[in-house]
Amino acid sequence: MKVAMIGWEYPPFKAGGLATHCYGLTRSLADKNVKVDFYMPKTKHSAKSDKPNLFIKEVGETEVFPYDRPNVKELEGKFYDAVYKYNEMVVSSVKGKYDVIHCHDWLTMKAGVELKEKTGAPLVITVHSTEYDRSGWLSPNQWFIDLEKEGMQKADKIIAVSHFTKRVIIDKYGIDPNKIEVVHNAVYPICEGQKKDIVLFLGRLTIQKGPEFFLKAAKKVIEYKPNSQFVVAGMGDMLPKLIDQAVELGISNKVIFTGLISDEEVKHIYGISSVYVMPSVSEPFGITALEAISAGTPTIVSKTAGVAETFKNCLKVDFWDTDEMANKIVSLLKYKPLHKTISNEGKNEINLFTWHRVADRTIDVYRRTI
Amino acid sequence: MCTGEQYKMTSVCIYFEVHQPMRLNRFSVFNIGNKNNHHSHYFDKKLNQQIFEKVAKKCYLPTNKLILDLIKKHDGKFKVSYSLTGTFIEYCETYMPELIDSFRELFKTGSVDFIEETYYHSLSSLYDELDEFEDQIKQHNKMIKKIFNYKPRVFRNTEAIYDNRIAKKISDMGYQGIITEGSEKILNWRSPNYLYKPINTDLKVLLRNYNLSDDVGFRFSAKLWPGHPLTADKYATWMSHCEGDLINLFMDYETFGEHHWDDTGIFDFLKHLPGEVFKHKHIDFVTVSEAIKRYNTVGEIDVPWAISWADEDRDVSTWLGNDMQVACFNELKNLGRSIKQNKNKNLLKTWRLLQTSDHLYYCSTKGLNDGDVHAYFSHYDGPYDGFINYMNILQDLKQQIH
Repeated sequence: MKVAMIGWEYPPFKAGGLATHCYGLTRSLADKNVKVDFYMPKTKHSAKSDKPNLFIKEVGETEVFPYDRPNVKELEGKFYDAVYKYNEMVVSSVKGKYDVIHCHDWLTMKAGVELKEKTGAPLVITVHSTEYDRSGWLSPNQWFIDLEKEGMQKADKIIAVSHFTKRVIIDKYGIDPNKIEVVHNAVYPICEGQKKDIVLFLGRLTIQKGPEFFLKAAKKVIEYKPNSQFVVAGMGDMLPKLIDQAVELGISNKVIFTGLISDEEVKHIYGISSVYVMPSVSEPFGITALEAISAGTPTIVSKTAGVAETFKNCLKVDFWDTDEMANKIVSLLKYKPLHKTISNEGKNEINLFTWHRVADRTIDVYRRTI
Repeated sequence: MCTGEQYKMTSVCIYFEVHQPMRLNRFSVFNIGNKNNHHSHYFDKKLNQQIFEKVAKKCYLPTNKLILDLIKKHDGKFKVSYSLTGTFIEYCETYMPELIDSFRELFKTGSVDFIEETYYHSLSSLYDELDEFEDQIKQHNKMIKKIFNYKPRVFRNTEAIYDNRIAKKISDMGYQGIITEGSEKILNWRSPNYLYKPINTDLKVLLRNYNLSDDVGFRFSAKLWPGHPLTADKYATWMSHCEGDLINLFMDYETFGEHHWDDTGIFDFLKHLPGEVFKHKHIDFVTVSEAIKRYNTVGEIDVPWAISWADEDRDVSTWLGNDMQVACFNELKNLGRSIKQNKNKNLLKTWRLLQTSDHLYYCSTKGLNDGDVHAYFSHYDGPYDGFINYMNILQDLKQQIH
């Protein structure tokens, strides 16, 4: 079986779960004798394959950073042009015969649809997030929604990363449920480090990820346990606002904002943290929760996050309920037997979340389209 | 054990556990030690009332009525035994006194027996000293005496937890029989369908036939089970093929109408069971007291480590299987001395209500990954929530004592 897969990020370049997913999926597919050509935009760091069945094909540069939100009118025109240009480049560079075209999220959907029409190969798309998620359900942009909807309608099969996302695809995009399969994400485990009393937030500092709720909970925890330390790791448009918020709450001496950190630093901080909090407003899956848990770090996630519907050994809160979030953070710091049990049970359960399983499920989906 | 023709009499001994715990209120870590706290607020009155009334309507009331009808229909030859916990009776007294009347009416038939246990359905049998265990049994004894003017002869510990030490204590307290699980761990090749004697004391041990008990208790509505659908005549035929003196069918009373809803046919099954059993001339029904009077022990059992009827493991790991559970258990146990010195009766009562084993059951992480029965019985969002809430309350209680 030969697959043309179209993405827009791949380690070492990585902005979100999509890159992590493509990396794990393509490598495990290659191990299972599926030939994969992975098309992506050229970046400063060139991506390499370590598998004989997997080729990374970089197709020229693009200015588009897919998680940026085009707010200013002027920018919009340029932004959309760049997206169309990238998709045209992909379409013209895909040559040869493929059994399946597989795209990930909105940025590649135009190319996917065109390639399906050009080559006649079936189209599979994976939905890692929708415009509704990325906008935190506040002011979704119709341009993205239309793009996503067209891709979903023309796809032969859709892979959703959670039942939560499947629901959104049915309810908001009006897609036939029978076309949608749920495949939960996986993780390459991370080493456990020497634990410190650090409570960690790690992710893009955007409205979707709910970092402001993390700071509100931090305030309550610090009042109760003045020795606790909070880390906000990652970049995003909310950073200045969050720094102001920490000052206003009077906790700026207890909160470290790391800015952008390297892969190695990410692994290190997961390893030494005592609690990981993922208070996302809207989270189709949330691979970072699996990463933290694999490093033996007890994790508190939003009740609605995709990971919460499948992973048992974690704590769940409503993202807005910062009292309960603080209650759980303090309990994890205060009660060692709780920390130990959830950490150990979590690491056991992580063993079930492998990319080989994701690849198997994905191959099942391919087979049903051919 | 279930083959061959036989002409010898075999008795069926049915016993139901009837229990409701006092579930806890949400209690945040920030709440610990607040001046306005009162320990009576630990319990979620509204939720408890709701669940009790729901289960009463679905199970207790209709099943009591059905059993009374069956006893009358079969001239008192259909017999059952009950173990009513103290917390269950307190629920009845508060919300549904007529339920106690219906148990009284059952008892008046002479075909119903009551079993002793700890008032609070606790794990006090596993404490280092057995004085609290004894106190709770005596309290249960007093309650049964007051309501039914009766003194039970047979004891059944919380979830059939049993070891040599417990057997010795129960024998010393004057009981003639004790109930536990018919586990291979203690029987090896031997059959559970006889009475046995503890290695260290004189007492008759009734062993639960877990295959036949679980056919009803767990598997009745499992469509994938080869025995499904289980009918009364099929079940009676299985029992008629069993060798031995005594088939002990022990299960939760909530089996009827609660664990298996009305529409599974569970009440029809019960309704036809006595009639189908009496078609086999060599089978009759006995209460637990009659069982130990009629039959003699055939061998000894030696149980140095506690067993129970819970989960696949049939040990105490359901309540003490992880660090969180052990921490809560120890915390609670260690409060005992200061609580008793404190001489505050209400505080003592609260401490005992917190000993109900269900609170630890909610913190079990066993089989979490396969999402098994534990989740069904818990009002918490998982064992970790259960632990946080329970431990926060224990911390508050500790501060209230000092």
